[in-house]
Amino acid sequence: MTADARKAHWTLYLYCGWLLLPLYWLLTMAVKRNQDITGTLEVIPARPTLDNFVEIFTNPVWYEAFANSLTYVVVNTLVSVAVALPAAYAFSRYRFLGDRHLFFWLLTNRMAPPAVFLLPFFQLYSAIGLFDTPFAVALAHCLFTVPLAVWILEGFMSAVPRELDEMSRIDGHSRAWFFFRIFIPVIRSGIGVTVFFCFMFSWVELLIARTLTASDAKPIVVVMTRTVSAAGLDWGVLAAAGVLTILPGIAVVWFVRRHLVKGFAMGRV
Amino acid sequence: MRNDKAWLAVLPVVIVVAFTAIVPLMTVVNYSVQDIFDVDTRIFVGLDWYRETLRDPRFIDALLRQVLFSGLVLAIEVPLGIWIARAVPREGPATAAFLIVLAIPLLIPWNVVGTIWQIFARPDIGLLGAAVTAIGLSYNYTGSALDAWITLLLMDVWHWTSLVALLAFAGLASIPRACYQAAELDGANAWQVFRYVELPRLRAVLTIAVMLRLMDSLMIYTEPFVLTGGGPGNSTTFLSQYLTTMAVGQFDLGPAAAFSVLYFLLILLLCWLFYTSVMKGGADDR
Amino acid sequence: MAAIEIRGLQHRYTEAEAVLDGIDLTLSDGEAHAVLGGSGAGKTTLLNLLAGLLQPRAGTIRFDGRDVTRLGGAGRNVAQVFQFPVLYPSLCVAGNIGFALGNRGWKKPAVRRRVAEVAGLLEIAPLLGRRPRSLSLYEKQLVAIARALARPDVAVVLLDEPLTAVEPATKWRLRRALKTIQQQLRLTMVYVTHDQSEALTFADRITMLHRGAALQTGTPSELYEAPSHTEVARFIGSPGMNLVESEVRGGQLCVGQKAIAPTGLSDGPCVTGFRPEWATIETGVAAVREGIPIAVDTVRPLGTEDGNPVGLVTASLDGKPVHVRQRLEKLQAGSAYLHLDPERLVTYRNEQLATHAG
Repeated sequence: MTADARKAHWTLYLYCGWLLLPLYWLLTMAVKRNQDITGTLEVIPARPTLDNFVEIFTNPVWYEAFANSLTYVVVNTLVSVAVALPAAYAFSRYRFLGDRHLFFWLLTNRMAPPAVFLLPFFQLYSAIGLFDTPFAVALAHCLFTVPLAVWILEGFMSAVPRELDEMSRIDGHSRAWFFFRIFIPVIRSGIGVTVFFCFMFSWVELLIARTLTASDAKPIVVVMTRTVSAAGLDWGVLAAAGVLTILPGIAVVWFVRRHLVKGFAMGRV
Repeated sequence: MRNDKAWLAVLPVVIVVAFTAIVPLMTVVNYSVQDIFDVDTRIFVGLDWYRETLRDPRFIDALLRQVLFSGLVLAIEVPLGIWIARAVPREGPATAAFLIVLAIPLLIPWNVVGTIWQIFARPDIGLLGAAVTAIGLSYNYTGSALDAWITLLLMDVWHWTSLVALLAFAGLASIPRACYQAAELDGANAWQVFRYVELPRLRAVLTIAVMLRLMDSLMIYTEPFVLTGGGPGNSTTFLSQYLTTMAVGQFDLGPAAAFSVLYFLLILLLCWLFYTSVMKGGADDR
Repeated sequence: MAAIEIRGLQHRYTEAEAVLDGIDLTLSDGEAHAVLGGSGAGKTTLLNLLAGLLQPRAGTIRFDGRDVTRLGGAGRNVAQVFQFPVLYPSLCVAGNIGFALGNRGWKKPAVRRRVAEVAGLLEIAPLLGRRPRSLSLYEKQLVAIARALARPDVAVVLLDEPLTAVEPATKWRLRRALKTIQQQLRLTMVYVTHDQSEALTFADRITMLHRGAALQTGTPSELYEAPSHTEVARFIGSPGMNLVESEVRGGQLCVGQKAIAPTGLSDGPCVTGFRPEWATIETGVAAVREGIPIAVDTVRPLGTEDGNPVGLVTASLDGKPVHVRQRLEKLQAGSAYLHLDPERLVTYRNEQLATHAG
């Protein structure tokens, strides 16, 4: 078995290389001038430049789009975790009328194609005046982040023995005190994993974000797709924006990496 | 412990999901049985839109492409993901590094994935496209349907195999060492270790992985939208793309709604079929 | 089955600390050998080295004179039972038991005959068609043992605390089944455990491991009567051996300032050891003469022996607890005196056995 793992190692390096190669190419594009991009094919940029990044940081269309994206992703993550925590606790600790059905019904929402919801979302959020705000996108993304959050948190909570709940009740603490002071710290790995997945799914989504925004709340992913079609092909700036959209994800994975490993170990991710 | 008051704790989730799922879904069902001219003029048409959708050759084509695409993607990504997961060392400093590298593609916005592959695969400015052309193969994913499919599959494998690999790794990491030691003493070969020690214990995580990949591949929209725009011709137009064109592009509310309902039901059906077959297989083990 | 010879076996996971530090051990063919020790003693490491799942830093292992030190697990032809039942979940019980046989090129009918034979031995024939999932923990561990016994030619059967996961109520059944089979088939078995009573009842000989060193190897009664190290004395027995600070003065062993018995040891401090049943505490005038004054703390009745009530007496000698197992009629109100059997005392210097039996 150990010899086997050692032998397989080089295929893993190969695979990681294949994962990183397109990213490397994106990065080189981001530091090239447009005439160099369309001119000769350079594997290593001969005249690296930061102009593309400067363009993004000085052009309000770009940096406001970044701010918009981060706003709805953070709001979505907060809302998802906030509503999922009590629900997951209820699912993991109590039996109640229709609990199993409700749980599975929640999960089926994860199976709904976003394209199905475009039109009703558009009309719904227009009707309540949230259209073209980050909150519309944040709420709409709850469609798949909330079921996911409930599911992950329920897994982590079920792994905590019930004796913990009973002990603090015997000690005479209120339920709220127990929940916030004891229980939440115990399952913080689970919360870390949940934050990671809510953040990730909200951050990477385009279709709903594009449909629910027009101008003011346009997120970065939408600005990117429109740059391609409208302003011709400014490959360098597009690549630079792409590089910048990858960074938040890497930051999040770095912050929750230990929780992620624990979450993986529980098989609930 | 039975406690119906627990409903209070579930209530926020129910409200949020009702707002984001039930209300829109009801709207869709409502539209799917009406012909809508404007806000005040609506005619109940029964199941006409459903009949029309099922007879629409473009819908059927998109559906077949979709099923073929999902089938291919699963057939590649699941075995490859397991293979990758087995190659990751179980412990030690390298483990975390590999896991983070594997996680990167999952964290990239889907349209950026499309952009990355656009830049990577174009014959004129892309490393891959240029390399393939340089070795003498004619390759152009915007011109040839086959090339477009190959590029899309490569992109999806690049994007999503990590998910299978990470889940499979989680499953492998929880297998006790003693199980491997017993197999070693029994003189089991590498294939037997995989078949009899690992695979049975990966059942749960692989079920989740296949379910996630199945539904997500059935919903794919953004990446082909950016990379190929559904073309050349309609050769890479999948269900979501066709639906989006119908609903947002042409505002065909009734047919789009009927399409949506069928689409959702299709995914539910496929997931349910898969899940019950896995559970039935599991029952044999009992 | 094979005789096993271990010479100078060393292992370490990090440079800093040796997990096993020069173990020498010889097992004869067909011997039931227990490796006893607390957690961190190196028991499981020793077992993994024997199985070939780990490679030692130094030393040799020979099976019937053949050097197997550098062979892997598959090459040594050993079988192992683990702390929890290790089975192949997708194979039925018969498939599990016959798995290793198939891998070694046995034909199907031969495998089937052997599986039936082993299943009969362990009385699990009715389970053969079932999947591991449907079995109780006890049944699973029985199947795991059957797996280990399936190959008739294994050099040694290794057991790594095989009763840990089993409920206390069924432990003795499993242990008896193991012992019966070991004797019937004359298997060489190495049984690792932290439970001294398991080791004492199961093994022909016991090796006591402590912090990577083999403190003593011997028969259960040798380890019980004359532990060669104070750690062995403390570990074996329930409660363990009483060890009291004492002194040799002018050729006399003195405990609590009282000369107990003549000894060949030179003058100086030492530790005197005695089992709880090698002493009595008595009260009354007659007890005073050769007894050591002692304060009785508690008395725990243990039932009767030949119609007389017996109990475990806990007393304090120089502020240290002493346990004595005795007939309770000798214990009345009044000053108590400890009487030691001079024929059975053991003495220690620097934790090592200095003399025994007076």
